[in-house]
Amino acid sequence: MAEHPTATWQAMQDGTVFYKRHQLYSIPGKFPPLNDFVIAGCRYGGPIALMRDTTKVIALGTAAPSFSKAQIHVFSSAGDVMLVFSVWDHGKIVRFGWTADERLVVLNEEGVYRLYDLQGEYQQYSLGSDAGELGIIDARIHENGIVALTGSLTLLEIKEWNGGKPLTLANPGLSQPPHSWAVIPPDFTISRHVEVLMSVESSIYSVDNLESVDQQLSRGPFTRMSPSPNGKSLALLTYSGLLWVVSTDFQRSLAEFNTTDAPGAEGEVRQIEWCGNDAVLVTWSSLALLVGPFGDTLQYFYSGPTFAITETDGIRIVGPDSCDFVQKVPASSVSVFRPGSTSPSAILYDAWENFTRRSPKADESIRTIRPELGSAVNECIDAAGREWEPFWQRRLLNAAKFGRAFLDLYDPTDFVQMGQALKVLNAVRFYEIGIPVTYAQYTQVSPSHLINRLTARNLHLLALRISSFLSLKPDAVLKHWACAKIVRSKPTATGSGKDAELDGDDAVCRSIVEKFEKMGDGNASYADIAKRAWEVGRATLATKLLDHEPRASDQVPLLLSMKEDRLALVKAVESGDTDLVYHVLLHLQRRLPLGSFFRLLEEGGNKLAPASKLLQVYAREQNREMLRDFYYSDDRRVESAVLCLDEAFTMMDPSSRIASIKSAQKFFSEDKERGFEAKMMDEYSRLLTTQQQLEKEADGKLSFFGLSVNDTIRTCLVNGMAKRADKLKTDFKVPDKRFWYIKLQALTSVRDFEGLDTFARSKRSPIGYEAFVRHLADKGHMKEAASYVPRCDAHKRVDLYVVCSEWRMAAKECKDRGDKAKLECVSVYATKEVVSEFSHRERVGAGGGFYEIASVPARGLPPAAAPTVSWYTVPRAGIITHCCITDPSVGQVHE
Amino acid sequence: MATASSTSDVPSKQNGGTGTSLDVSVLRELAKKGLVDALNSVNGAKTLVLDPTLAGPLGLVTEVSLLKHHGVDKMFWLESGPLTAATTNIVYLCRPLVKWVKIIADQLKRLAREPSKHTYTLLLVPRMSTLVTRILEEEGVLGDITISSYNLQFIPLADDVVSLELDNAFKDMWVDGDETTIYDSMQALMTLQKLYGTFPRVMGKGDYACRLTSLLTRQAQDVSDSNTNMLNAGSGRLDSLIVIDRGVDMITPLLTQLTYEGLIDELCRIRNSHVEIPVSLLAAPTVPAQQDAAGSSSTTAPPAPGSSLTKEKRKKHHLTTTTDPLLAELRDLNFSSVGRKLNQVARRLDEDYKLRHQAKTVAQLRDFVGKLGGLQSDHQSLRLHTGLSELLVPLTRTEQFNKSLEIQQNLLASYDISAQLTAIEEMIAQGAEMQIVVRLLCLASVTAGGIKLKTLENLRREILQAYGYNLLPLLLSLSSPPLSILVPNPLPPSTLISAAASKYPYTSLRKSLRLLLDDQDSVDDLENDISYVYSGYAPISIRLVQCVAQKGGVLSNPSGDKEKKPKDNADADTGKVQSVSKVQAHPIVGWKGFEDVVASIPGGTTDIVQKVPGGVHGAVPATVPLLKDQPTTTVVFFLGGCTYTEIAALRWVGRQSRGRNFLIATTGIVNGASLVESLASIERASASGQSKDAALL
Repeated sequence: MAEHPTATWQAMQDGTVFYKRHQLYSIPGKFPPLNDFVIAGCRYGGPIALMRDTTKVIALGTAAPSFSKAQIHVFSSAGDVMLVFSVWDHGKIVRFGWTADERLVVLNEEGVYRLYDLQGEYQQYSLGSDAGELGIIDARIHENGIVALTGSLTLLEIKEWNGGKPLTLANPGLSQPPHSWAVIPPDFTISRHVEVLMSVESSIYSVDNLESVDQQLSRGPFTRMSPSPNGKSLALLTYSGLLWVVSTDFQRSLAEFNTTDAPGAEGEVRQIEWCGNDAVLVTWSSLALLVGPFGDTLQYFYSGPTFAITETDGIRIVGPDSCDFVQKVPASSVSVFRPGSTSPSAILYDAWENFTRRSPKADESIRTIRPELGSAVNECIDAAGREWEPFWQRRLLNAAKFGRAFLDLYDPTDFVQMGQALKVLNAVRFYEIGIPVTYAQYTQVSPSHLINRLTARNLHLLALRISSFLSLKPDAVLKHWACAKIVRSKPTATGSGKDAELDGDDAVCRSIVEKFEKMGDGNASYADIAKRAWEVGRATLATKLLDHEPRASDQVPLLLSMKEDRLALVKAVESGDTDLVYHVLLHLQRRLPLGSFFRLLEEGGNKLAPASKLLQVYAREQNREMLRDFYYSDDRRVESAVLCLDEAFTMMDPSSRIASIKSAQKFFSEDKERGFEAKMMDEYSRLLTTQQQLEKEADGKLSFFGLSVNDTIRTCLVNGMAKRADKLKTDFKVPDKRFWYIKLQALTSVRDFEGLDTFARSKRSPIGYEAFVRHLADKGHMKEAASYVPRCDAHKRVDLYVVCSEWRMAAKECKDRGDKAKLECVSVYATKEVVSEFSHRERVGAGGGFYEIASVPARGLPPAAAPTVSWYTVPRAGIITHCCITDPSVGQVHE
Repeated sequence: MATASSTSDVPSKQNGGTGTSLDVSVLRELAKKGLVDALNSVNGAKTLVLDPTLAGPLGLVTEVSLLKHHGVDKMFWLESGPLTAATTNIVYLCRPLVKWVKIIADQLKRLAREPSKHTYTLLLVPRMSTLVTRILEEEGVLGDITISSYNLQFIPLADDVVSLELDNAFKDMWVDGDETTIYDSMQALMTLQKLYGTFPRVMGKGDYACRLTSLLTRQAQDVSDSNTNMLNAGSGRLDSLIVIDRGVDMITPLLTQLTYEGLIDELCRIRNSHVEIPVSLLAAPTVPAQQDAAGSSSTTAPPAPGSSLTKEKRKKHHLTTTTDPLLAELRDLNFSSVGRKLNQVARRLDEDYKLRHQAKTVAQLRDFVGKLGGLQSDHQSLRLHTGLSELLVPLTRTEQFNKSLEIQQNLLASYDISAQLTAIEEMIAQGAEMQIVVRLLCLASVTAGGIKLKTLENLRREILQAYGYNLLPLLLSLSSPPLSILVPNPLPPSTLISAAASKYPYTSLRKSLRLLLDDQDSVDDLENDISYVYSGYAPISIRLVQCVAQKGGVLSNPSGDKEKKPKDNADADTGKVQSVSKVQAHPIVGWKGFEDVVASIPGGTTDIVQKVPGGVHGAVPATVPLLKDQPTTTVVFFLGGCTYTEIAALRWVGRQSRGRNFLIATTGIVNGASLVESLASIERASASGQSKDAALL
């Protein structure tokens, strides 16, 4: 029987709060002496990276010889060496730290950083050339980014681990490096942007990307600084050894403790780390002192130097002999196990123990807590999750199961999930795996994260079993497995020469595909695996794998890097993602000679038509030269011509515009079917030339250039150049009708009514005289308009007089023709028109009382329906017989 | 089911009482949140530099105050020239177009020479673009700017209309062959699916529509595979998606829209639901100040200084039913009934006002005063619409307008084509607007299956001479595939056989889809078929939707029982809803029954049944009987834009049957003139205004 949980508890704050330390792993002699090393530990039970601290002198021979200078060793919490690698030969390593997904970030003084995964593969990025010149003197690495301090004491920030551009934070204006500094990750600040705290002289500066604020403290300088995991509090250590805990907005002082008073503390403080969010652990070379919120302390002694890693719910301490976990005892555990506890869960647990001892007290106990039994069961389940020993987990779950039997309705989901979770946790806590993750941490980071961590350790089988146990998708695991398999498997498995390679590839491909089809649900990304194969130089394997990829968009980038240009383009077009097409196009345009690039598009025919269209869209804006070549090489005369035209319209210089038009004309004329267009362009260039002449004649007072034929004629007429207008008419074969309309409009606009009259008499009007009347009336020249009415058809005259508001003439006309009915009409309308005009004025003047408004529609909004009605019957009848339009204000009375 | 009775004062009933059951305001929230998140990613005060074409769409999802609240200090239009920014942070917000990127690069280079240091962020709408990265790289400023994205997708324009508000979607696809719009539409439709559940059935007509549907179903497959519980939220409320691409029905936008809203769009041009109208119409002299807040909160932006030069000040007004309940009653009416309707509302209002005389007791008086606010806002919107109608009426009386209507109707009836062409030529001679002429000409070509080569060349020459030779590219793109709406007949020998086969079968469609309304009786009350929106012509696009969603409606009038209808019913629209018992909507069974007709229209046809997560595997969910009390929603997506008339017609279809609502989704609202302009690359009279300071609308 494992020792009772309370055996490791220690009370604090007068016995209201308990802290417990339990040993995770016994690791005597597995770690080298930790005080000679620079150490970085990963949260959530992650690995620990060590590098020799070059500032420390060590006696040769005593330490393990393998710890040479430039190597980084990665240990699991159980003390197993997971990875050893040497980093740069040159460039001092400034700092290293862990990302959220267990990759080790190593930053050197030149501003270059690498992300190592647990297999030793790395990606390299840089903080930019400026950082390289200035040099990096220090940095803080948090789970989602780096903040680096440059040689000129400015701050650079990197967000996310995708090699993004570094951001410059506000300049704190330091003259010397800060005494200490820390970073609060963006997730835990109010602004959601990273915040840097720097101890400068006696105060602290908080710096973000906008400003640097002096917090006006006077107790500094601070030698150590450590923000709590939730970013709300900050632990500070002054030169005098005073530990001071404040809120990160520096509004509240939370606790103070003088570390020099601590019994057994010798030498320098090694670390100040948080244990969860409410206690601070201060370590010396052989002592760890837990300081609670009210200054009470707990002491833990070690035989040698330790290293502590803050977790969200506790702290992990790696000592010379053991790896321990210190945490505040969770509420549910306290409730069940606290000596003398009378909480329902404690009674339930007690009842179950009695039950196993076949004691009748069990029933009695259950009866007493009957109303709270549900919560007691839940608490027991939760407490099970908090226990490390399977023995106690089992007992607590049994207690919960026992209590459950007395409940009528109970949702067993929590129970089942806890059972599953514990099974998984116990598996990964096993010393060979060495991930001492607590239940709280497990729920925080999600099961799939845990599985990713397992695959990162190449523990594929376990990861696969766990994911199927938790009914998660196995795809991620399978993918990682496949990648690992490709890397490991040697191309030359059997046989010799090229065949052998093919065989090997085939075998690998087959085994991967088989596994995927058996285990996965058929939509794993082969493209990623193929990419891996390509990266390790196995092109044939990559191609084979890529054939299995259903998603076109995933294939494209790889196909591009494999120089499968045509295929990449086809796939991109198929995906419908125009951005992807552009990606391929722009990539190819840069890489291929122009000729073969065009050929690729041309030979693609219909399939690649969208791509070629996109290229044209892009080139029209950005790279006309290329577009011209493209059209030329493809013999696209019409497009070439349109391109010339396009350019011509933007040109201001007359001669170059004409030249452009001429070349457009040439292009058109090369296409048999574009004779019309060629002719038009010919006309256009002639027009432009004529316009140039006209401008010259007008001494530059008039501008003609670029006008249409109509407007050119109009300008001529308006400015008294009638001769030129006539010439233009004949030159450009302007039909009579159009010419007459232009002239009519032009002369009306300059009120040359005499000229208009002569023009009207010059010959029989091809557009009739009604057009004259209507246009003049439209422009408000009623009197002039009326003078043309007599020349119109007799039966229209009445209406036309009405148009000119010549009621008297209209009436006379009626009388002349003896049309009595119409006369009546006219007389009625005449008065009405006047009346309505009057009333309209009245209404506006009245300022819009509602009754007046109401009266407007009452008058009957003149229906567009009137015409509607008529033309819709027209077509069927086939005769244009407008029925009488009844709306008076139109003034058109048709027969 | 609630129906808006004509006497009701409560303005909340829209679409004749069958409001969509989908809450599209979620989309607005989504867009708003996206913007806020994007802005918050940059810490501190920032200067926002805005793509002018985005101002309209953004104005529909957010207000300036929200931007200010999230640290936007000052706003500028993105336009060439130097930028003076006081803040360190400069945020560019634009669509990923080369021209914008060039301006940005230029400004970055200029600002680099200044002493003050800036940080730059580029937010691309709707997503990142390789193209932009490349150009910034070529300009040598890529390292100085952080690029991220703001995913602006569907914007609700009304309760049942969502739009991507892409101005150039049609041109991009049918002229440039740029399929970006299709991909973006697919992404936006995916978002719809995530919000409202998977479309059990996806149908499409037209080549681009097919491309979209295949992309969509493939993407949905991927998503549902990778995350099963992603697409099942609220499924069962959507019954299908119908994708109609604009190329399938080019006739409809070429015609002049005759509904109230359509006509406003034709004559005054509605942009992003905003229309510019004289200030005097919006001023409310009789209404006290408190009304302003409720009535026209969106109109408070000062007019651009440049526009003050015109004779009367014009102001942008947001046409929305939330502040203007009368609009809901008016927007879909044929313009001929608008007058009657306004009159009726005026009388109703007048009577309501007169109630005050009957108020005898203090309590009654208090009641009246309580209602006064509502009356005044009704009054205000009545003023507005009366004024707007008065503006429209003279425009509908011009000879040009009526001539073009006459030509349109004759062409639709295929009556004496050559006479119509002569009439078009006459209009050119008279100097009619280019857009109108081009529309008519295209209409002639589509309905008649081409124009005789000689005539066509002559007309094209006339156009070039009258309006300028720079229209040649426009004419070329109209006549070349995939658009081919201005073609000679017979086609030149070199044209591909496939192109020749894709001739539009207008005359046979006219019969099979009952495009022109036959019965004489209905003349006085046209609103008993969707054809009322064009006074007698039914839009093909909506007939196609009916082929799927209301099969009976294609063959005969669903509201055919005319004797049931009281002749004197002044309010034809709502009266019908009450008097004619509604037909239960039939389940979606694809194009069944109309396969031949649909196949005769050029462009591919698709009909895909999607696997609905959570549903029984293999079962066709669409055949699950519709629950009577739970209406399902059919989403109709117009790829390449739709017109206000089409929206009106769809709403009409939705009113006719019980149990089915329509959600109209589109890449943007178009009309014939805007299409022609975008094809000709004529910049619309700049909506941006001349001020350097940007203000949303």
